[in-house]
Amino acid sequence: MTTMTLLQAINDGLRTEMKNDDRVLVFGEDVGRNGGVFRATEGLQEEFGEERCFDTPLSECGIIGTAIGMAVYGLRPVPEIQFLDFIYPAFDQIVSEAAKMRYRSGGEYTCPMVVRSPYGGGIRGGHYHSQSAEAYFCHTPGLKVVIPSTPADAKGLLISSIRDEDPVLFLEPKRIYRTMKGEVPDGEHVVPLGKGRIVREGRDCTVVAWGAMIETCLKAAEAMEAEGRTIEIVDPRTLVPLDEELILESVKKTGRLVVVHEAPRTGGFGGEIAALAAEKAIAWLEGPVRRVTGFDTPFPYTLEGLYMPDPNRVVRGIQQTFDW
Amino acid sequence: MTERTGIRPEQAMKMLRTMRTIRQLSERIIPLYPKDVMETPVHLCIGQEAVSAGLCIHLRDEDLMVLGHRTHGPALAKGLPLKSLVAELYGRTTGCSHARGGSMHVYDGEHGIPGSSAIVGGNIAVSVGLGLGRKLLGSEGIGVAYFGDGATDAGVFWESLNFAALKEVPVLFLCEDNGLSNVMPKSEHMFADPARIAGEFMPVYRADGTDVLSVYEEAGRAVAQVRESRGPAYLHCTTKRWMQHQGVLEDDLPYNPIDPEKDCPIVRFEEFLLRTRLATPGELAAVGEEIERDLDEAFAFAEASPYPDPEAMEV
Ligand SMILES: Cc1ncc(C[n+]2csc(CCOP(=O)(O)OP(=O)(O)O)c2C)c(N)n1
Ligand SMILES: [Mg+2]
Repeated sequence: MTTMTLLQAINDGLRTEMKNDDRVLVFGEDVGRNGGVFRATEGLQEEFGEERCFDTPLSECGIIGTAIGMAVYGLRPVPEIQFLDFIYPAFDQIVSEAAKMRYRSGGEYTCPMVVRSPYGGGIRGGHYHSQSAEAYFCHTPGLKVVIPSTPADAKGLLISSIRDEDPVLFLEPKRIYRTMKGEVPDGEHVVPLGKGRIVREGRDCTVVAWGAMIETCLKAAEAMEAEGRTIEIVDPRTLVPLDEELILESVKKTGRLVVVHEAPRTGGFGGEIAALAAEKAIAWLEGPVRRVTGFDTPFPYTLEGLYMPDPNRVVRGIQQTFDW
Repeated sequence: MTERTGIRPEQAMKMLRTMRTIRQLSERIIPLYPKDVMETPVHLCIGQEAVSAGLCIHLRDEDLMVLGHRTHGPALAKGLPLKSLVAELYGRTTGCSHARGGSMHVYDGEHGIPGSSAIVGGNIAVSVGLGLGRKLLGSEGIGVAYFGDGATDAGVFWESLNFAALKEVPVLFLCEDNGLSNVMPKSEHMFADPARIAGEFMPVYRADGTDVLSVYEEAGRAVAQVRESRGPAYLHCTTKRWMQHQGVLEDDLPYNPIDPEKDCPIVRFEEFLLRTRLATPGELAAVGEEIERDLDEAFAFAEASPYPDPEAMEV
């Protein structure tokens, strides 16, 4: 075990898998010589050479298209999109080509590519350095969507994603890149995709959240202790495939559900989790399902602190499942 | 700096004023930025002022210019008032984008700036539509895309050249080539010379973007070409970025050496003005002082302006 930040754990995960499997390649804008704008790929070019860790043009569509071509014939590319906000030039390649490769080839071809990208707000980056776009990708059959919230999970989920046969969007909560520290197993460490985690046990209300929102929800849960209510926090870790069982089990135990995400409310993945509870746990629900989310506006420039769910808003959301 | 005689003194002084405004604003931002009074990432234009000044002197308000993330220089040169830019940097409602935009998203309808985008390349295709719109609506104006060398990597750049050429769109593509895309040198991000290939689509002009007279002359030709032919042109200006890609620290990349005299468009132009007696040392000093007063006023205006109403999350 070594204590690492989330960022170091991602770097360690990449290094571990590059050592393990020489089909693994890392590339993107500024990732090679510079080691990435957040330094997630630091040292990889020195260690593995320019063939396996290289810089690309400012060309997201080209980066992902190239990765797909490598993936379908024997390589394991891990391209980086510098900020998730810049992924849209590549949206077509991901949604139209990568996601449908397995289906349209009748299962003959797969696309084992992992697109890594920092996402989410909290660094005062404004409109295009802050967004949470997970829902677009969750809506596209054929993709997996993975979001770690701890260093150990970051490493273990990244390694599983690289080993997966299908394309994975690996979204990294940049706000906690350096603030979130924890013990990370050395060497081989695998966390399976599709298995969530109970972050904190509780009896009175289930809160489902991911990425940097876990920390926010933990603070809210502490505040609720004072009111004599214990809150259970569930981190699905992968939105697709979703650990439905874990969420439903928790909801059936507590009888209440709040979903928290940074992304705008309408069409956000929170609606999907609310629908899951409505379809499969309605008889256990003792109050309305609440969503605590960003607003239905572009990510703001000066009002970031208000836009992002904070512990107070989560507390209010939880209270509303009791008072209605 | 090559001797040229065609320039009128008031135009020369206007370009100097523009360049100095861009520079002196940057110099104010540098010590203030770490104090967190500005709510926005900033991409400064120090060293690149001649491109904006030499181009925009040929543009009118009816010419619609869209920008990338490095906005301060071209926006001020196109006519954006200093105080609405500074207020926007401060995140105040009196800013040019009503505190919704920040440094990378500036708008000024009055002066023909229908916006800028932090998405590199994102605005290039928009300029084609602006130009085509000008033509279809019977305006004399043209569209202008102002972008960096990094943007030429993006597919949308090539799509836009093709579209503009095929449809004979009055649009000027201006590449402000500082040789860098973030920390990547041009040789490592773009295989070919985009100006040469643009030549397959439209007339191409090249200027030394550290020499405002070179930009002035070539931009004059390029803009005239677009106005007269009502079709596209491309202008490539090579220049140098003095600061790091973002923020207020000086660049220290070994492959981007800066000579603060030879590479400085302002030093070079002031020498020219003195040598040709277009200005006296006293006049040059007066320009700088006047801009300092404008800056005092703009910053005071910004600081006294209100923040957006937290209730007004939606526009
Ligand atoms: C689509 C997209 N990809 C990546 C980025 C990140 N990024 C912002 S500016 C920049 C470099 C741009 O270089 P250039 O176009 O030459 O402009 P300069 O900064 O040199 O003025 C990069 C990679 C972005 N903003 N948008
Ligand atoms: Mg550049």
